[in-house]
Amino acid sequence: MGALTRSVRNISRRKMRAILVIIALGFSMAIMISIPSGIVANQEAAQRLTENFNSTISNMQEEINKTSTLIECSTSSGQGTFSSAPSGMPPGMPSGTPFGRFGQEEIFVNETVGDEIRSIDGVKDVVPFFEKSSNETTSETINTPRGEFTITRPLYTITGVCLNSSFIDDYSILPTNITAGRNLREGDSDVLVMSLNLTHYFGLAVGGKAEINGKSFTVVGICNSTGGGFTGTRTVYMNLSQAQAITGEIGNVSRFDVYAEDVSYVDGITEVINAAYSDLRVTTYKDRLTNFENMQTMYNETLNNAQSTLGQTETVATQEIIVAVVATSLIVLFVMLYTVRERTKEIGTLKAIGFSTWNVMSQFMLEGILISLMAGVAGIAIGSIGAPFLSSLLLPHISLFGGSSSSRFQSGFGSVSPGTTGSESVTAALSPQLMLLAFGVAVLLGALGSLYPAWRAARIRPAEAMRYE
Amino acid sequence: MSEVILKAEELSKTYALNKRKIPALSGVNLQVNKGEFVAIMGPSGSGKTTLLNVLGCLDKPTSGKMILDKVDVAKLPERELCKIRRDKIGFIFQTFNLLPYLNAAENVELPMENTKRPRSERRKRARELLELVGLSGREEHRPQRLSAGEQQRVAIARALANDPAMILADEPTGNLDTQNKYEIVRLLANLNIDRGTTIVMVTHDSQVASHTERMLLLQDGRITKEKQGLHLAKKKLVCPYCGGKIQPSDERCPNCRKRL
Repeated sequence: MGALTRSVRNISRRKMRAILVIIALGFSMAIMISIPSGIVANQEAAQRLTENFNSTISNMQEEINKTSTLIECSTSSGQGTFSSAPSGMPPGMPSGTPFGRFGQEEIFVNETVGDEIRSIDGVKDVVPFFEKSSNETTSETINTPRGEFTITRPLYTITGVCLNSSFIDDYSILPTNITAGRNLREGDSDVLVMSLNLTHYFGLAVGGKAEINGKSFTVVGICNSTGGGFTGTRTVYMNLSQAQAITGEIGNVSRFDVYAEDVSYVDGITEVINAAYSDLRVTTYKDRLTNFENMQTMYNETLNNAQSTLGQTETVATQEIIVAVVATSLIVLFVMLYTVRERTKEIGTLKAIGFSTWNVMSQFMLEGILISLMAGVAGIAIGSIGAPFLSSLLLPHISLFGGSSSSRFQSGFGSVSPGTTGSESVTAALSPQLMLLAFGVAVLLGALGSLYPAWRAARIRPAEAMRYE
Repeated sequence: MSEVILKAEELSKTYALNKRKIPALSGVNLQVNKGEFVAIMGPSGSGKTTLLNVLGCLDKPTSGKMILDKVDVAKLPERELCKIRRDKIGFIFQTFNLLPYLNAAENVELPMENTKRPRSERRKRARELLELVGLSGREEHRPQRLSAGEQQRVAIARALANDPAMILADEPTGNLDTQNKYEIVRLLANLNIDRGTTIVMVTHDSQVASHTERMLLLQDGRITKEKQGLHLAKKKLVCPYCGGKIQPSDERCPNCRKRL
């Protein structure tokens, strides 16, 4: 019959009280372990987003450096802006983003303009592009941070690429991220590369036949659509002349990518084009650099906001943990004080039959620690099931990008963030280390909470204790 | 000459109540020899329990000297006193004071817990002691499943656990009916005769006290009177009523049929 057995029997003697105390302590413990796990999950999410941002920023910078000699000349319908370029497509490729241009009149320019531009001093190459929305439309519901919207937009965009081998070799004009089949190549006719979401929509695979504006094409390749599922970019890529032919726009193009011999010619060429072709919107690396800098500023602001939100959350979390720790200690303290009072006569008896001060003290401390340990198990059980709920309930809602920044973010960096809310999905999960720590904290709080009651119990003079009724 | 187990000289105990000093014991002189069965009697408030607490090292005297089994205990610190209580004194209380969450054997084992005896020996001794007090077969019973008399027997077995130099019994029959009362007194008397256990019993019941060897009357914190009890004659195997021969196991005198 040791002190441990006596402690267990004493706890089990008053089952209902023990259960209630363990549940109360368990909740405190669960809060103590859920909050850090929520914080860790949020920190990891913020870390992932920061890494995504940094990687996107460095990719963009690389692209700007690579395309310093590129002058984009698009029609005023607004195609080809750098900021709306989906990742996976080379800069300057038409985006077809969900909110990109639908509703605007699609304007084309004669491709002979390209030949004229080619004659400007310092121009190395002019690559024409064609892009037109399909006649078929589709209605879809889009979730945004501001609510659900139903929009009607073209089912897909027909993109015509000039399949000239020197262009293909020298410039990144073809779709990237080919997931099945092959890419387009010089001499291709009656074939196309289709974005993945469209192949799903049409139920097509490589080798399948797709009818575009009444003409049959063979799908030779499938490329990854950007911006998520069906709501993302839906495009078919084909030979430029065929795209012009099936859309009835023979001889017309949407955009020219003008490549200068050297970066020193860019300003001169831009000046000439602006003067001669007021219908064309000209974008150089300087514009892209300005866009990039604006974007970078916005990113930094967003990240700073996120860090500040996280900082505030951590402060709240610390306060909540302190409250939980104090509550746990107080529960143990009051329960053990009550127990000591209730068992004063027993303490007197134990002392009368020869128990020392330390024997009595250790008995009560052991009981406090045992209750806390059981509460630790209950806390881990409650925490394992309810950690995500508890952390979301107790921590301020962490939307790393907020409502307004979310939409800005999406328009610019749709491919960086998964989903439409612009925030990482954050799930708090308990790690084994945290569980071990919880046990350690349980023992510590049990010992701390029962220290004073046990000391009081041990200090009771036996003669007084025997008189206590 | 018998060995002196307990010797108290000029023992005083004063309580302070709102700066007022209340004397509970005022110069008690007492000597108990080894193997004696002594009763301390007195009216309520005479200081019986205070004296027993001081004799049992549960309380310290304000002044005076007390030698217990050759040790001067009056000035010992608490850490030494708990060893004295464990090894030299066995307590029996009016309300039995058994731990309700332990069974009879575990209650008896309890005082042996902090000794060097191995667990198996402690268990064996607890069973032997329970058998001695007539509770064989009740070892696993918890106090709430035992009658008041049985609970007091468990308490007596517990008091004997560490073979103490002296047993201090505070109104051991106070919570018992008449039959159990005499059974407990007889049990204590037999322990005194058979095992030579020294017993100091506090009681206000003169009938119970008369079954001891020596009765001390305590009044206003002093021992004012001392007289012999029936137990002395019984110890000498002589009927205290008719002077006829008796045996220690006799419940009644074979000659005069009076209850012993």
